[in-house]
Amino acid sequence: MATSTILSNPVVTVNSVDMSDQCTSAVFHVNYNQLTATAFGDTDNKYVKGLGDHSVDLEFYMSFAASETWATLKSLVGTTTTVIVQPSSGAASATNPKLTLTGTFLAELPVNFALGELSTATVTFTGGVYSEATS
Amino acid sequence: MAKIISPRLGTPGDDFDEEAALKAGINVQALIDGGFISTSKAAKSAKTNSEQEETR
Repeated sequence: MATSTILSNPVVTVNSVDMSDQCTSAVFHVNYNQLTATAFGDTDNKYVKGLGDHSVDLEFYMSFAASETWATLKSLVGTTTTVIVQPSSGAASATNPKLTLTGTFLAELPVNFALGELSTATVTFTGGVYSEATS
Repeated sequence: MAKIISPRLGTPGDDFDEEAALKAGINVQALIDGGFISTSKAAKSAKTNSEQEETR
């Protein structure tokens, strides 16, 4: 039977700072380069796992107040940090895994200013070491 | 030892372990720049530079 998960209280931590109450979307990409391993005699393509090339996309409401989005992200541009995403608050478990990207790079901080809308920032952290904690 | 300022990071006033944070890939300088932690050290007592009068 299919199950659905309604996220109500996921946890998003950027550089140890809990940004959950400013975050509206988190997409964690666990990706490995696909290396061709096809050889003579094969009739179908074969692939093996290459280097990990992970990333995480985060959407935030932009706030320039102290300890908010701008203060958290502005000094991370051009540097590396650690990002953690968890489906729900509480201890990490098999049903509440803590996805971590350590040493991930933030290349840019685009801020969206639109008339009559809340300002937002969509950032992408790329690279780094991926790990999943279930305890 | 750094102190936590922002509740987004922990309990304000608690110590922040910079070495452990660095090992975990945390950008400590960004936390300082963003005002999340303070590394201000305790002020040293003022130096006294009074010249002792020679007693004859």
